[in-house]
Amino acid sequence: MLKLISLVMAVIVWGLLSLTLPHEIFPGPIETTRTLWGDIAGGEVWTDLVMTLLRVAGGLVLALILGVPVGVVMGLNRRAEAVLDVWVMIGLTVPSLCYAIMAFIWFGLNEGAAIVAIAVTAAPSITINIWEGVKNVDTKLVAMARVFEASRPAIVRRVLLPQILPYIMASARFGLGIIWKITVLVELIGRPNGVGFKLFYWYQLADMRQVLAWTLLFTIIMLLIEVLILKPIERRVFAWRPQVAV
Amino acid sequence: MNSVIEVAALRKTFKGHDGTSRAVLKNLDLTVGAGEFLCILGPSGCGKSTLLNVLAGLDKVYEGRASVSGGRVGYLFQEPRLLPWLTANGNLDFALASCKVPTSRWSELKSRYLAMAGLSEFRDYYPHQISGGMAQRLALVRALCVEPGILLMDEPFSGLDEITARRIRSDLLAIWRETRKTIVFVTHNAYEACFLADRILVMSGGAFQHEMRVPIARPRSYDDPAIFTFSRDVIKAFGDEIERDPVPSAATESGSVNNLDRHTAARMNI
Ligand SMILES: Nc1ncnc2c1ncn2[C@@H]1O[C@H](COP(=O)(O)OP(=O)(O)OP(=O)(O)O)[C@@H](O)[C@H]1O
Ligand SMILES: [Mg+2]
Repeated sequence: MLKLISLVMAVIVWGLLSLTLPHEIFPGPIETTRTLWGDIAGGEVWTDLVMTLLRVAGGLVLALILGVPVGVVMGLNRRAEAVLDVWVMIGLTVPSLCYAIMAFIWFGLNEGAAIVAIAVTAAPSITINIWEGVKNVDTKLVAMARVFEASRPAIVRRVLLPQILPYIMASARFGLGIIWKITVLVELIGRPNGVGFKLFYWYQLADMRQVLAWTLLFTIIMLLIEVLILKPIERRVFAWRPQVAV
Repeated sequence: MNSVIEVAALRKTFKGHDGTSRAVLKNLDLTVGAGEFLCILGPSGCGKSTLLNVLAGLDKVYEGRASVSGGRVGYLFQEPRLLPWLTANGNLDFALASCKVPTSRWSELKSRYLAMAGLSEFRDYYPHQISGGMAQRLALVRALCVEPGILLMDEPFSGLDEITARRIRSDLLAIWRETRKTIVFVTHNAYEACFLADRILVMSGGAFQHEMRVPIARPRSYDDPAIFTFSRDVIKAFGDEIERDPVPSAATESGSVNNLDRHTAARMNI
């Protein structure tokens, strides 16, 4: 309920702010929605939207594949931590635009390059999350499992994984936030379709109505993903957790 | 009686954070016979948990010899160490599965020990939904469920109210008698030690200072005056050790045995 109110508030703030500028350069919510509706009815949004979502999904999966093992190794091994620490910091510092340019120049202007650029940008922050999680593993529980003669795979699966899972979830969510921003950027410089491409296209035509319409579309989709996919997964996975009342 | 635990010249040192190493266990010798109930009594920080960790095989970095034979080792830790994402039942299943107890026996074992600990109604509760004492009891159930031949127990009843603790102590003795386990039981509580043990080792500063056999016939009753009398002797032996330790601000009025008694008695939750 509170969330709904705050959402309505955000729209109202947008509406009020849009009054400060001429509406060709800062259209309000109603005008933007009408434009968006027109685009949707015209049936041309779907290709771009689906392409962007596929890139986001592909980038996220690859980022997790790259980021999680490195984080786990760093959490488990002091030496690996010392060696990889610098790499992660460098990886985190290089601007995503650089990754995108390098990927497109080296691998050509194709989907693979786009997904690599997206994943490489997001992987370091995923690594940091997982690294933190592995370091916070309660070794007393591991000792308990060893006393009960649990096998190594059983310890990993039944004692370590449940402890790291919250961090994996957090890094996936966090990663998603980063990833969709990069995806738009990557599409802008190197893809012939997608939300980023469309944004840039309308920007060049200086059509702010369309720019905001596409931004709105993307925001709605991301909110839906959050509410309809991530939240329910989280609720299921963490059903055992006590409710925190502050 | 053949021995199941043999420890000779066991030394354990920990590195302090400033790089200096500190001996926590100093040349311990210990033999525990099969089926014996041994209590180790000692003040906080004297190395009791460290010793149990070595016996349980969790700590493999030490000097000297420590061998444990005679079946599965069960270890009831000082903290419950339950898996928070599993229910009480799930935690027991985890232990039973890990120890490869045949599935056909699970329900019988679980019901029996849950009933003993008064937890039958709490099978489906998560650890955060039960009290600290209940969690400790659940950990006891988990340790007993897998039917260890040797049971190491680290202050298992210190968080329980006296009435519950009494009942479980008697149940523990019954189980011990029936299953012929070897039990090494660590406690601060001299009275508890006298009620439970065949033999009491008083530990302080990383070494055993006294050994006492408990000359009280079994079955014992918790209110037996003989236990009380004997526990006073134990406390006296124990108190000497405390006084020998350089404890600042300890009650050091010369020769005031009464004061000392009260002081140590307070320390040992009598
Ligand atoms: N992992 C560790 N690293 C460094 N020092 C340790 C470690 N574990 C224990 N010690 C030290 O060893 C000493 C004995 O600890 P131990 O836990 O065995 O005490 P204890 O007799 O079980 O005490 P308590 O009755 O309070 O549980 C303490 O001084 C403690 O500081
Ligand atoms: Mg201890």
